[in-house]
Amino acid sequence: LDHGYALHTTAKDCFSSLASQDAQTLTETPREVFYTSENDPAKHAEHHEGRHYSIPLEEVKAVFPHGLPPRFQQQIKTFNEAYVMVRKPALELFTYLKSSNFAHPAVRYVIYGERGTGKTMTLCHVIHFCARQGWLVLHIPDAHLWVKNCRKLMQSSYNKKRLDQPLQASAWLKNFKISNERFLKEIKTHKKYVWGKRESTEEGSPLGEVVEQGLARVRSASDAVGVVLKELRQHCQLGAFRLLVAVDGVNALWGRTTLKKEDRSPVSPEELTLVYNLRKMMMNNW
Amino acid sequence: RLTQVRWSRYSPSFLEPEVNKELYQKPQEELSEEEKAKLELRAVRLIKAAPPSLSSSVFGDPMISKFTNMMMKDGNKVLARSLMAQTLEAIKRKQLEKYHKAPEAEKETIECNPYVIFHQALKNCQPIIGLSSITRGGKTYQVPVPLKDNRKRFLAMKWLITECRENKKRRTLMPEKLSQELLQAFKNEGPIIKKKHMLHKMAEANRAYAHFRWW
Repeated sequence: LDHGYALHTTAKDCFSSLASQDAQTLTETPREVFYTSENDPAKHAEHHEGRHYSIPLEEVKAVFPHGLPPRFQQQIKTFNEAYVMVRKPALELFTYLKSSNFAHPAVRYVIYGERGTGKTMTLCHVIHFCARQGWLVLHIPDAHLWVKNCRKLMQSSYNKKRLDQPLQASAWLKNFKISNERFLKEIKTHKKYVWGKRESTEEGSPLGEVVEQGLARVRSASDAVGVVLKELRQHCQLGAFRLLVAVDGVNALWGRTTLKKEDRSPVSPEELTLVYNLRKMMMNNW
Repeated sequence: RLTQVRWSRYSPSFLEPEVNKELYQKPQEELSEEEKAKLELRAVRLIKAAPPSLSSSVFGDPMISKFTNMMMKDGNKVLARSLMAQTLEAIKRKQLEKYHKAPEAEKETIECNPYVIFHQALKNCQPIIGLSSITRGGKTYQVPVPLKDNRKRFLAMKWLITECRENKKRRTLMPEKLSQELLQAFKNEGPIIKKKHMLHKMAEANRAYAHFRWW
């Protein structure tokens, strides 16, 4: 194991300033060394690296209803403040996103690293940045939740071979509604969708109705999720808004599931509606 | 004073190891007469081996280590230590939440240091007087008896641990329940303080037999 004995950059700055200003006393308190007052992710630059910036609690509830890791949520509850560290990969992603050409197909980025190095927090930093810029953020907090420990699996009404997950789908729809409320009213559907014998959504109705439908009728929640994803892809190609798809634990979509069908045969990920629809989002054909 | 040499493999001339670093860092002039005599004796006599759980660090607390040893089951010290750490973390988090929600006037009265809370809670749980069974003429009487310091500390810790192990609701973890009990004991409420008061009342009720004690 290679233990880096080099000091962290902020502490290095602190000591270098000590060396250069021997006559003056060091007036920086630890608060100034480790925290920034720059709360806008768009203005974070390399000299902010390693410092923490705070997100106001109302924004946390609006932007991250389901995104943050459970330990971080516990810290927010204890200290009544949410401080996120500015990391180098996040800054790199900001430069790429700012200079991305929306006429070309979407670029896919992978954040990888060892356990406990801050991948989820980097993702949340990027999501906060995009939310501030006004993008529509499609955030799946943990793909593993859709692929293991699912209590109810129903056969899909849309396609006989696939399986539905009503609980996970409705939970995700609820959180999606909280984070992207204003977009749901603006975007209109392109097609008519029939949910059952009596329920159908007309062409040109706002996406909010599809979400309401999914929440009200839990049985068709997974299909509602599929519809939402399809509509968002179509609208994005027309160029009405900018879409960011963020999935935590992407490898779960292509690995094995721990779920079993009623005859105890294992389920492969393609047979789950949610995973199938999400994989279509992962392609860069939009 | 007689030491119990029968059970210990060390001869009585062996001395306990001295863990306090400050004592050795003091310059010669500041030492009092007793401390000088003690240091001279330690230079000549043999010292017992220090057990691995004894530490000279600032973070090591003999009371906390004793409590962890009592919580340990089947020699699983790793688990007991982690439970203790989680308990102290839980106490700190609860107190911090209370601190952030309290108005300015009360902020100073809220104690946030989990070690202080632990020590104070144990002190509040310690009984002053205990009962001992003495047989006279075929009948056993419960005689009120003064307790030694070690016995008091042992009883407080034992009550705390048995209370947490037995009276939990299903699926509450040990650190959660322990932190709850410690905070209650800190405020002089809760089932362990009640047990202490019951013991005191029993001792008061059996006052008549106090003369049976011969030590």
